[in-house]
Amino acid sequence: MINKKAKFIVGSVLIVSAIAYLISAGISSTSQYFFTVDELMSQKASYAGAGLKVKGTVVDGSIIRDPNDYLKVNFSIAEKTSNLKVVYQGVTPDMFADGREVVVEGTLTKEGVFHANTLLTSCPSKYEAEKEAGKMHPGTLPGYESKETVPESPAASPKTTI
Amino acid sequence: MNDIGEFALLVALATALYGCVSYIMAVRGNRVDLYLSADKTPLIVWGCVAIASAALWRAFLTDDFSLQYVWAYSNREMGTFYKIASFWGGQKGSLLFWTFLLTTYMSVAYLQNRKKNVALMPYAMTVMLVIVVFFLFLLNFSTNPFERIPLPPEDGRGLNPLLQNYWMVIHPPTLYLGYVGFTVPFAFAMAALITKNLDDGWIRLTRKWTLLAWFFLCLGNLFGAAWAYVELGWGGYWAWDPVENAAFMPLLVATAYLHSVMIQEKKDMMKVWNMSLVLLTFVMTIFGTFITRSGLIQSVHTFDEATLGYFFLGFLGVVIAICTTLIIKRLPLLKSKNELDSFLSRESSFLFNNLLLLGIAFATFWGTIFPIISEAVRGVKITVGPPFYNQVNVPIGLALLALIGIGPLIAWRRATLSNLKKNFVKPVAAALVAGAALFPFLPLDGRADILAYIAFILCVFVMGCILSEFFKGTAARMDLHEESPLAALSALTWRNKRRYGGYVVHIGVVLIFAGIAGSQAYGTHDQKHLQKGESIQIRDYTVTYERLLAKEETSIKSRVIAQLGVYRDGRRVWTGNPEKEFYKGSNQPVSEVDVLSSWKEDVYLILADFTEDEAATIKVYINPMVSWIWTGGWVIAFGTVVCMWPDRLEERRRVMRQKKQDAAFSPAQE
Repeated sequence: MINKKAKFIVGSVLIVSAIAYLISAGISSTSQYFFTVDELMSQKASYAGAGLKVKGTVVDGSIIRDPNDYLKVNFSIAEKTSNLKVVYQGVTPDMFADGREVVVEGTLTKEGVFHANTLLTSCPSKYEAEKEAGKMHPGTLPGYESKETVPESPAASPKTTI
Repeated sequence: MNDIGEFALLVALATALYGCVSYIMAVRGNRVDLYLSADKTPLIVWGCVAIASAALWRAFLTDDFSLQYVWAYSNREMGTFYKIASFWGGQKGSLLFWTFLLTTYMSVAYLQNRKKNVALMPYAMTVMLVIVVFFLFLLNFSTNPFERIPLPPEDGRGLNPLLQNYWMVIHPPTLYLGYVGFTVPFAFAMAALITKNLDDGWIRLTRKWTLLAWFFLCLGNLFGAAWAYVELGWGGYWAWDPVENAAFMPLLVATAYLHSVMIQEKKDMMKVWNMSLVLLTFVMTIFGTFITRSGLIQSVHTFDEATLGYFFLGFLGVVIAICTTLIIKRLPLLKSKNELDSFLSRESSFLFNNLLLLGIAFATFWGTIFPIISEAVRGVKITVGPPFYNQVNVPIGLALLALIGIGPLIAWRRATLSNLKKNFVKPVAAALVAGAALFPFLPLDGRADILAYIAFILCVFVMGCILSEFFKGTAARMDLHEESPLAALSALTWRNKRRYGGYVVHIGVVLIFAGIAGSQAYGTHDQKHLQKGESIQIRDYTVTYERLLAKEETSIKSRVIAQLGVYRDGRRVWTGNPEKEFYKGSNQPVSEVDVLSSWKEDVYLILADFTEDEAATIKVYINPMVSWIWTGGWVIAFGTVVCMWPDRLEERRRVMRQKKQDAAFSPAQE
């Protein structure tokens, strides 16, 4: 009797530890640090190459579209003290404009340029209705209303599987 | 009317409070008179909440902008449908709607059980009333939907344009019916714990309730996915957003419960486990509400909502504390009479299915709260996104898929080799043949491709298992009753509703798995900024941008439509018209996608942007097999209805089984 019980406990522990392993491996290989521009720039050396999410405000007049490729955009985001150059390739959300708060996802190069593969704009309070109703929409992070993802560099955005 | 509505909420709160106290006092002090008066409260509370809801609906329909809530979520131009749906368009109204559904469920449970289950009823009603009190407290003192504006404005702000489509009328009520529905099993489980009536009485009583709530929650999730897919225009149907996760987790825990509860009914095992699962399901619904309402996870909400979040957090803490204490106190009474025998048995396959379902639920939970934990522990905010959930949940999901095939066919107690051979040779053979047949056609380059390939093979295996069950049963009936195959099949299903209804649900789940695998692994997309006449080449399609149309639809809404010719092998197969809608008073346009759907793949077109020279940025997605997901959803719905259909045979069989068990006390072999 005791043997039988032990057998099942061992079996269950195996399953549980397999799941625990999947979770911890998943976190270490897919997680992104979430910083504001100031936080990132004060310690930028240590995060070059890592998956990052950065929040900041679009600097007035910094948006420049590539004349040959409408979908290639350069701009800068800033907070109180620092300023970050961003390169983004893809469709920009409707709300993307000077002075908007945005969140970019991607990687920071050694030269301090941020290569974004995702650009999210944060939204004014008019849209709080949507959040309150309990339906945050897929692809619409809370407070960010439109999401455009371009798998640019495979390292920065692991291919979405199932 | 507004005064009446506001007053009705107060009366409801007072009555519900009185109900809780008097039920308990009546039972403790054996006072019949008090019990009779307490027993009137559930219906009175329902009546008051119904009056308040009617008052709010009236305000919406008559454009009564003296209510702050109506002003914020409605305006004169909106259609009647959206005025009705605006009721749950915001925080305050959705809480009232929640309370209305909760009291409705309570009243139905009350009318159904008040004569039959005298022992459990007072406690179950008290538990439900306490929950009602919590919501009524919020409605009266924190988020009153009848808050006035002293000088009523001429017109309201209107419902968010993103919400103005028919899914807004269908999706939230379905999801809420699911969420709120789990309160009934929770209340009866608590009553069983409190009164120590821990046989399977409460389980039989709440089986249908659990199924009903599960049905709505499942449909609610799928409707949400469909809404996202056809309306929101980002090409997908599920993004592992915290609020989606909030609805997904209780569904997983409830699914685990629905399975393991069968073990308790048949074998009198896993009592503690089942009790924990049913309580956990309810806790998950409250946790989900907390996530949705508090903004803690995303931390971008307004201050007002954050306070409401603390109410839910407090409530959550109290519920968890009470549940844990009660279960620990009753542990001796929850001892099982039987034990698991062998790894290769149906019992253990149920155990493993439970562990896997909870594993997915936990991974989802962990990913959802990880930013908070990492910030608290390490001082850095670390977020995880869809890659995390996919990487973790897909392998677990595939193991679960295999179990869907194995579980129903493997023998109870201990499977022998001959039993395994008899049941599994054909499905395994079918899976191997399918694997070999698919091999030349599917790319197997990356992790996603390989996982999808495995998923397809498993889907065939599981379908083989399920169909062989139907086939065996039908053949037996045809021999025995000399029926035609179709008559035998339907009679088989109809006379064993739980079993074969369950198999139908499984078929739906297999379809969903196949659809997810196909669309996630083999989908592709492209985007270009096109001048008129230019095209995007994608797979074997050519999408040509033909022209841009602007239309003034109504005084508040205008549309910009891109006309796109879709060619395949040089032949025009479809004209797609994705568009952007602009609403007066809202600076953000709403995208309307256009989809050409078939069982093989969807061609999904988005007008992402356009410039003054009438050039347009077009996104094209090719999403294979997405329609399988929606078909699977309807199959699940049908199967669940079969399971829920009233069944007298089932009851008779249960009594027989009970007698047999009592007499011999040896678990029956099936």
